[in-house]
Amino acid sequence: MGTIAVRVRGLWKRFGQQIAVAGIDLELPAGKFIGLVGPNGAGKTTTLSMVTGLLRPDQGTVEVAGHDVWRDPVAVKARIGVLPEGLRLFERLSGRELLSYSGRLRGLPGDEVDRRATQLLDVLDLAGAQHKLVVDYSTGMRKKIGLASALLHNPEVLFLDEPFEGVDPVSAQIIRGVLERYTASGATVVFSSHVMELVESLCDWVAVMAAGRIRAQGPLAEVRGDAPTLQQAFLELVGARDRDAGSRLDWLGGDSR
Amino acid sequence: MSAVAEAPSLTPVVVRLKLSLLRNGLRRSGGRRAAFVASAVLALLFAVSQLLGLILLRGHAHAATVTVIGTAVLALGWAVMPLFFPSGDETLDPTRLVMLPLRPRPLVGALLAASLVGIGPLFTVLLLAGCVISVAHGAVAFAVALPALVLALLVCVALARAVAAANIRLLTSRKGRDLAVLSGLLVAVGVQVVNFGVQQLGSTVLDRLAPVADVLRWVPPASAVGAVDSASRGSHGVAAAQLALTAAALAALLTVWGRSLERLMTSPDSSTLQPVGAPARGRAREGGGLARLLPQGRTGAVMERSLRYVWRDPKTKAAWATSLAIGLIVPLFNALQGTGSPYIACFAAGMLGIQMYNQFGQDTSAFWMVALTISSPRDAYAELRARALALLVITLPYASTVTVLTTGLLGAWDRLPEVLGLSFALLGAMLATGAWASARFPYSIPQEGHKNVAPGQAGLAWISIFGGMVAAALLCSPFIALVVWANISGAVESWGPLLLPLGAVYGAGITLLGLRLAAPRTAARLPEILTAVSKG
Repeated sequence: MGTIAVRVRGLWKRFGQQIAVAGIDLELPAGKFIGLVGPNGAGKTTTLSMVTGLLRPDQGTVEVAGHDVWRDPVAVKARIGVLPEGLRLFERLSGRELLSYSGRLRGLPGDEVDRRATQLLDVLDLAGAQHKLVVDYSTGMRKKIGLASALLHNPEVLFLDEPFEGVDPVSAQIIRGVLERYTASGATVVFSSHVMELVESLCDWVAVMAAGRIRAQGPLAEVRGDAPTLQQAFLELVGARDRDAGSRLDWLGGDSR
Repeated sequence: MSAVAEAPSLTPVVVRLKLSLLRNGLRRSGGRRAAFVASAVLALLFAVSQLLGLILLRGHAHAATVTVIGTAVLALGWAVMPLFFPSGDETLDPTRLVMLPLRPRPLVGALLAASLVGIGPLFTVLLLAGCVISVAHGAVAFAVALPALVLALLVCVALARAVAAANIRLLTSRKGRDLAVLSGLLVAVGVQVVNFGVQQLGSTVLDRLAPVADVLRWVPPASAVGAVDSASRGSHGVAAAQLALTAAALAALLTVWGRSLERLMTSPDSSTLQPVGAPARGRAREGGGLARLLPQGRTGAVMERSLRYVWRDPKTKAAWATSLAIGLIVPLFNALQGTGSPYIACFAAGMLGIQMYNQFGQDTSAFWMVALTISSPRDAYAELRARALALLVITLPYASTVTVLTTGLLGAWDRLPEVLGLSFALLGAMLATGAWASARFPYSIPQEGHKNVAPGQAGLAWISIFGGMVAAALLCSPFIALVVWANISGAVESWGPLLLPLGAVYGAGITLLGLRLAAPRTAARLPEILTAVSKG
C-alpha cells in the first residue's frame, strides 16, 4: 500500500447533549476512490466538515497529506478541494463568475483560471448555462458547478459530501466520469453517501459509519466479506437487518381498502 | 373501514386548519406571542377609534366622500397585501393543497371562509361598520347597510385571494421573492411620500376630493358604501344598482380566483420546468468592464464579487439603498431647512460605514468558500482589505458629494475642508470597527422575508452594530477634539484647510490598524464564523 492521504485520530464532536462524532480513527490511503457510508445522522457531514477545517473538533487530530489541518492550514488548504452539503454557494454569481472568483481567491493567475474554467464547464455540460446565475441552477447543476470549483486548483485530495444527492442520472454519470478520470491520475477522492449501490460500484475503499462511530474500514471486498452485497454487509454492521416491517402492515395492499 | 365514508364538508376543515396555523405560529415563542397580542390590541384600538371617529362624522357634509374613499383605500390595501407578505398566510398558498383530491368550487368557498378568520378581517369589519353607520340615515338605508357591509368585506377578502392566486407563480419564483424583499423599502419610502403629501394638503382637501369620491362610489367595494349613501338620499334605484354592482364584482372575483386555482392545481410548477431551448444569453463579460479596472488576484476577485452583490443580492441591495437614501436625505433635509450644522454631513459617512459590519454574515453560509482559501492572517487581511476597498469605491465619492452638497446648501464653504476631514476620519473608524466586529460578532442574515437577523442572534447584532458605532465615535474622538480645539482657538482661520488631509490620513491609518487587528482574529475563528453565519 502507498501513502496515507488522510489520517484521523480520536476525533470527537458534541453539539449540546448530542454526540455527533464519538472518537473516530481513520486512515484513508492515497490514490483511491473512498466512500464514507452510513445512514442519515451517522455523523458523515460532521466528520467531513472537521476533516476539511470547516468545523472545529472538540478533540482529536486530522492530517491531510501529512500536514495537520489545524496547525498547518497553509499546507492543507492548498491541497484539498471541498464540496460541502447544505451550505450555499455565492449564488448571485453566474457559473463562470463563480469559478473565476474561487480560482482567483486561491491565487491562480486570471488567464489560467479562465482556461480551466472553460474546460470544466465544457466537460461538466454547463457551458450553455455558464452566464446564468447559480441561484437559478437545478440541484444537479449546483453540484456540478460546486465540483468544478473544488477541482479548479487541482487538489491532491477531494472531499465531496453527498455529491450525488438529488442529482439526475445524466449529471450523475458526468460527475462519475470526471471523478474516475481524476483518481486515475493518482489523486484521492473521499465522498460520503447513503446509497450503497453507488458506493459499491464506484469505490475501492470504504469506511462504514453509524451513530458517530466507524464500524468498519478497508478495501471494499474486505468490508463486504461474505455478504452478497455491500447493502447486506452494511445492514449487518449497523444491526438493522432483522427489522422486518412486513407482518405489521398487513392491511396495506392495492386490492382492498 | 370507514375511510370511504361521506367526505366531510371542506369549509370547517380549512377554517380549523387556519386556526391551528395561527395557534401554532404563536406557540413557537413567547416573544412572538407578545408581539402578536400587542399588534392585535393596537390594530383593534385603532379600528375602534376609527369606528368611533366615523360615527362622529355622521351628518357631516363630507361624510360620504370620506367613507367612500376610505373603503376604496381599504380595498387597495387588501389587494396589495399578499404581494408584500406572501408568506404571511400559509392557507393563502393553494399549491400546498395540490396533492389533495379537491374540486376548485368547494375549495373557493372554504378558503374564502378561512380568510375571514383573523385580525385583518376583524379590523376591516370595524372600519366598514363605521363607514356604513356614518352615511346611513333612515330605515331603508340601514336595511341596505347590512348586505352592503357583508358584500364589501367579501369583496376585500376575495380581492386579496384572487390577486394572491394570480400571482402565486410570481411569488414562488426567485425573481418574485427578490421583489418582495425590496418591496419593504418601497413601503417605507411610500409612507414618507404620503406623509409629506398629507402635510402639504390642507383641510380644503375634502372639497377637492369630492369628484374622486363621485367616481369611486361606482367602483366596488366602495360602491357598497355608495349604495348606503344613495339609499339615505332616497334614490333607491341607484342604491340597488350600486349594491348589484358590488355583488357582480364579488361573483367576478370569485370566478377569476376559481379559474386561477384550477390552473394552479392542474399545471406543473413552473420552477421545475426546464426552459426549452432557452438561448444562453452569451454576453461574454469575462475580463470586461468592472474586472479590468480592478487589481489582480484576491483583492480584485473579492472587490468584484462584493460590488456585484451590492447590485444582484436583494438583501445587500436593500441595505445599501437604505444607507444611501438615509445618508443623503438626513443631511440634505437638515440643510434645506437652513437650521442644520454642516457637521451633519458626516451622517452619510456613518450610514455607509455600517455596511462594513457583519461582512461575513452578508456572505451567508457561502462563507465556506472564503474560509477554505484563508489559511493565514495575511490571507484574512487581504480579504478584509479588499472588502473595505469595494466599500470605499462607492462610499468615498458618495460621502464627499453629500458633504459638498450640504455645506453648499448651508453656504458654509469655508467649513468644507474640516467637515470632509471629519467625514473621512469617521468613515475610517467605521471601517476599522466594522472589520473587527465582522470577525468578532458575526451573525446570520436570513435570505427570505424582511428580517435581517436570524432568531436568537439579535443580541449579537446589537452588540456588533451599536457597540461598533460607539467604538467608532471613541476612535474618532482625538480628531473630533482637534476640530473642536481648532474652532475654539480660532486656529481654524489660519490652517483650517489642513484638517482635510489630516482627517483623510487619520481615517486611513485607523482603517489599516483595524484591518491589522481584525485579520488574525478572522483567521483564527473561521469555523466559528461559518457556524454563526449559517443559521439563515
